[in-house]
Amino acid sequence: MQFTLNSNTIARRAMGAAGGALLVAALVSCGGDKQKENDGPDFSRQSAFPSTYKAEEAAPVLIRGATVLTGTGEQLTNADILLRDGKIAAIGERLKAPKKGIVVEGAGKWVTPGIIDVHSHLGDYPAPSIESSQDGNEMTSPNTAQVWAEHSVWTQDPQFALALAGGVTTLQILPGSANLFGGRGVTLKNVPGRSVQDMKFPGAPYGLKMACGENPKRVYGDKGTLPSTRMGNVAGYRQAWIDAAAYRHKWDEYKKNGGEAPDRDLQLETLAGVLNGEILVHNHCYRGEEMAIMMDVAKEFGFQITAFHHAVEAYKVADLLAENNVCAAVWADWWGFKHEAFDMTEANLAIIDQAKACGMIHSDSEIGIQHLNEETAKAMVAGQRAGFAIEPRHAVAWMTLNPAKALGIDEVTGSLEKGKMADLVVWSGNPFSVYSKAEKVFIDGNLMYDRSNPERQPYSDFELGIMDAEGERLSESRVKGQGGAQ
Amino acid sequence: MNRTNIRSRGIARMALALLSGLALSAQAQTVLIKDAKIVTLTDQGTLESADLLVRNGRIEQIADRLGDLSADLIIDGRGKVVTPGLIAPSSELGLTEISAAASTNDGAVQDTSIGAGFDPSVAYNPRSTLIPFNRAGGLTQAVVVPGSEEKIFAGQGFAIRLTGDFDSIIGTGLVQKVYFGEYGAQLAGGSRARAYEQIESALEDAVEYAGNREAIRKGEWRDLDFSIADLEALQPLIRGEQPLLISANRASDILQVLALGKKYNLKLIVQGAAEGWMVADQLAAARVPVVIDALGNSPDAFEKLGARLDNAALMQKAGVIVAISGPGYAGSHNSYLSRQGAGNAVAYGLPYEEGVKAISANVATIFGLEGGVLAPGSRADLVLWSGDPLEVTSFAELVLIDGKPQSLVNRSTRLRDRYLHPQAGTGHGYKLK
Repeated sequence: MQFTLNSNTIARRAMGAAGGALLVAALVSCGGDKQKENDGPDFSRQSAFPSTYKAEEAAPVLIRGATVLTGTGEQLTNADILLRDGKIAAIGERLKAPKKGIVVEGAGKWVTPGIIDVHSHLGDYPAPSIESSQDGNEMTSPNTAQVWAEHSVWTQDPQFALALAGGVTTLQILPGSANLFGGRGVTLKNVPGRSVQDMKFPGAPYGLKMACGENPKRVYGDKGTLPSTRMGNVAGYRQAWIDAAAYRHKWDEYKKNGGEAPDRDLQLETLAGVLNGEILVHNHCYRGEEMAIMMDVAKEFGFQITAFHHAVEAYKVADLLAENNVCAAVWADWWGFKHEAFDMTEANLAIIDQAKACGMIHSDSEIGIQHLNEETAKAMVAGQRAGFAIEPRHAVAWMTLNPAKALGIDEVTGSLEKGKMADLVVWSGNPFSVYSKAEKVFIDGNLMYDRSNPERQPYSDFELGIMDAEGERLSESRVKGQGGAQ
Repeated sequence: MNRTNIRSRGIARMALALLSGLALSAQAQTVLIKDAKIVTLTDQGTLESADLLVRNGRIEQIADRLGDLSADLIIDGRGKVVTPGLIAPSSELGLTEISAAASTNDGAVQDTSIGAGFDPSVAYNPRSTLIPFNRAGGLTQAVVVPGSEEKIFAGQGFAIRLTGDFDSIIGTGLVQKVYFGEYGAQLAGGSRARAYEQIESALEDAVEYAGNREAIRKGEWRDLDFSIADLEALQPLIRGEQPLLISANRASDILQVLALGKKYNLKLIVQGAAEGWMVADQLAAARVPVVIDALGNSPDAFEKLGARLDNAALMQKAGVIVAISGPGYAGSHNSYLSRQGAGNAVAYGLPYEEGVKAISANVATIFGLEGGVLAPGSRADLVLWSGDPLEVTSFAELVLIDGKPQSLVNRSTRLRDRYLHPQAGTGHGYKLK
């Protein structure tokens, strides 16, 4: 295998919370070689809106005789996978079928880990897109680190189900990119939920959305306030980190010496959580120059950037990304919609990868998220055309294990390894073919989507009685004789 | 010369053509592709292994075996697929460079004095970076259509060949673009009803103008709502000579458009048609073709609640002529991704050859362009693909426009080659190849 995946060190610590002990992950960034012991104040507030997601108890599942892309660089043929108690129990040949449970015949089918999208706005920019549902971008100040994307998520967004049908099992919902600091992102399991807590990925660390370049300078420049330039952007970041460092110091002193507790500040809490290594930085940043500057800003203030997103020019600084242990999340071929997206090459992801930086595909789109396998395929072929020997067994990690790393959850999902969450997709064929479809999607060993069974396809509240008062949007009854929904 | 030698000569020349780009291509008068799978989109069907000869810009022969002919460029097509060049049914190629940079956009105007009369072909830039990039993706022709941010009449579309030549416009005044549905309602003042009324009013004025041209031009007539330029521009439309490319997604909107077309005897093309499958029979009966985004299955607008991935398949089955554009999110920059859309449409039930037609032959048919099929005598706009052209893992290895091999080099490949092995420092800035 050409590249090595540094295993993230997830330091789990039990933390007293009102409702009892709660497992949270305190971890650092992609690569995670910079773990900090944190006995200080709780800046990440993992327990404020705790995950209430609990996988249903699942009967054992045996997937038999499939072609398996493990996500760890292996392609297995005629392999069996046993799922038990929501975990991957075994991968091998001729595994014994469970007495009770489901057997999926895998002949001709392929299995991959569940797809993970590190950059989505589902729920915050739901369908239908109307004025009153635009909840993803708090465009009122260059620094809105105090807002949390999860507080905007409309769990009934019908686009979650479409993403599930595309094989997406986990996704990070980020605030938009109008601001230098847009706020906190949240990592969700792609399961139906009445509340966003019902979808929250247990223990996943928070992400802080930052944005470089054109967006913040345009939004605030148009309002006649700082920033109106790229240099204004950087001044804004640095000032905020100075304030955050002072805030963190104040709390550390209080923790050490006692006295009167400092006032809480939601904005500075998020930034201090980054300085403490508990909150991961997801930085919208297109240009090579700006990525280099941002890595210097991180050095100046002692934090780690986990991933650059929309990194259209990552290929220009792939060596710097590798050196600084920063991931790059990219599209296969989007370009030209703005100046900072002009220098696109389809080989971007392949070049990042070959430089041994951690690269991944991402969507930022309610349509793209349904086709991340196709997007990965395009990036893979662009790499092959550039002369790199990249095979599916390697490229699959671009849509599974590498985004898991960037989300700090790669110890529990993102690849098919014994003991990991049973998050996986059974494809009708090679997932890098446009004709292949996700047939079955398992999350924690539960069959959350089955293309052949409408009863195993989620419908959100939005879809009830719409278009057809007595049915669901695009339900079988409505379209009988005309092929299935989706 | 034996067969093997021809092949090796072909491969060598192919490699040379790819390396030297345009240098050789301008010279190639005859091109012979041997042993390729050929998707003709004619009655000849798909030939699993056949030869195709191009001479003087035209396809001369297609046959299972043409024998050992000599040609300037001989290509071993084994394992590869030949299709007609892709045609974009709706794009802003040559009118936009960077979408968010106003100075580089000529596709829409903020000027209430012109609507139907707006002809952006004068602004067309054949040297745009979007053209070689899309050409490398297999696009050989495109319909270029203005957009509008102020009124429902956007103006007139034209067609181009993607040669990058200064004379690559192949037809102006090709269509009238009008917005109906949600966006049309917004532009018209807040209601679809007002948008409909504005279209009818323009058509009525155009009819009135046709019958009283001289008096109106002399100012001896009542004031009409539209300028002379607009009313002139609408004449081919009301004569049924020029199609109306009208956007509508909701099923009920599409039915209103069909009623309008019937009332004024218009030649219609419906763009969008997200809920087209619900009124597919009516579209087919009215012989109205559609231009759709085959990947657009999100109910991201109330007018698209019925969006679904088998829309193309359901409409085609009902007898509607379907053209597939690039995906909405990709914009004109990636118009060639219509083939990814077509691939998905096939995955969701559209017959394979219909998928290829939707991005080539049907577009030519709908807009009255030459091309879109591979037949003896037809213009040699074609692509040799590394494999199935609807697969995202395939790519164009040879693109012919008017029989001439086109350069497949573009900014994406140039940037790739410069940064294949990124290095610190300034050295990369001088590595020119």
